[in-house]
Amino acid sequence: MFLTIDTADARPIYQQVVDGIKELIARGKLAEGAPLPPVRQLAADLGVNLNTVATAYRELQKDGLILIRHGSGSVVASRTITERSRDELLRPLRTALTELVLSGLSPNKIQSIVMRELRLAGKEGK
Amino acid sequence: MHSDKYAIIIYIFFWAARINGCIRRGLQPLRRGRDWFFDVPVQSDFYAVGGRKLLRAYWIRMLIPFGIDIPIAAAIFLSGRLLYLNFLVLFLSAFIHINHSFSVNLAERQARSIAAPQAEKPVARIALSLKPRRLRDYTNSKLEWTLALSSAFALALLTRYYLATPEHHDVRLVFGVPIFLLYLQVGILFVKRLVLAWRTPVPQSQAAEHMEAREETRKYYVRVCDWHRVGIAAAILFWPIRLSTSAGGLDRLLSTWFGIWIAISIVSFVWIEIRRQQLLTLALRVRPVKLQDFLERSEIARWPVCYQPSVPMLVIKGPHGYSLNLGNGLAHFGAAYLLGLAAVIAFLPRH
Repeated sequence: MFLTIDTADARPIYQQVVDGIKELIARGKLAEGAPLPPVRQLAADLGVNLNTVATAYRELQKDGLILIRHGSGSVVASRTITERSRDELLRPLRTALTELVLSGLSPNKIQSIVMRELRLAGKEGK
Repeated sequence: MHSDKYAIIIYIFFWAARINGCIRRGLQPLRRGRDWFFDVPVQSDFYAVGGRKLLRAYWIRMLIPFGIDIPIAAAIFLSGRLLYLNFLVLFLSAFIHINHSFSVNLAERQARSIAAPQAEKPVARIALSLKPRRLRDYTNSKLEWTLALSSAFALALLTRYYLATPEHHDVRLVFGVPIFLLYLQVGILFVKRLVLAWRTPVPQSQAAEHMEAREETRKYYVRVCDWHRVGIAAAILFWPIRLSTSAGGLDRLLSTWFGIWIAISIVSFVWIEIRRQQLLTLALRVRPVKLQDFLERSEIARWPVCYQPSVPMLVIKGPHGYSLNLGNGLAHFGAAYLLGLAAVIAFLPRH
């Protein structure tokens, strides 16, 4: 299982790490309790400062997606412990939908895109 | 047989084992064919122009260990202190690998400046494995317990042997060699830690194949480290047997011990060569590419040494070459280990 980083991507590296791990969790490739590499390993593999990966892990922890246990490493958290509000969870969806509407896609086209992505996430998440 | 003769046999065996390595390293630049120089894609006329000079310079650098070995060995033979040959073999075993890594890296960097244009272009998408690489993930607990218990048993035997008549035994003779061997054990664990810290970013294209080649190579080095530790544990266990053997039976005991070691070394040598061939096949399946290094453009590594505690790499690639990161915990441990090694060698028996 790989985390992909695109050097041509405009997003900062830490954000790519966050998004990449989130995607792997959503698709079920990183199951609950799965260990994540230590910050030092991921930062060294990527060739970046420790803080870059540590910031990404902290953000994932804040979102309730991973548990950081000092000394024994980080693991993927149980999804039931996510305590974020409905509004907070819907915020990225609204942003993404706004982007799609502004790009000129019709509501039907957007709906089909969303359904396809949802099916993909749901299928791989099982 | 006298211990000096064993040292000579080990040295001769070391020379014989080096022949294959020399041939392999000599052919390494061309192992992917004439369109490549190591892992750098080159133009078809590369070896007719600047490439030939680089190739020759690489081959000359491969002879540096011989340039060190021959005069030192000659001095040892002339001085008659043949046991120092063992230290020479230990030093050269490490130096050959360091010299080779440095030479390959230097040759590749030089080749990139005159190679095919695509050689300089790094791939944009990098894949990283999310599998943790902690020491415990590559540790066989049964083996570790066996090594620890056998060493503790040997030390207990030595303590009993020493306490039986302490006034007749030299403490250095009884404990010097086992402590030195235990210290080597720690050194090999350190090497194992370095193997695990080996960075593994791979290009997104052929990521699985690249990762398999890296991971198999890592496992091979980890296994070689563990085998060396098993050998050292056996030598520690042998020491109390050797000390308690009578002078009459010692010669026979040492001959048997040495014969077993030679046989094991030959079998290990064959296994290593077979495994190397398998790893080469895996490595040749994938196309090497240049990967983006995010710190390469920064100025934090402009000197041969730097102090960057927030950078997790022991060696940082900077715009002007490589820099040893003294802020890394592995650098601290390595420095402390070398100082300790000097103290342990000083504790070895003088005869």
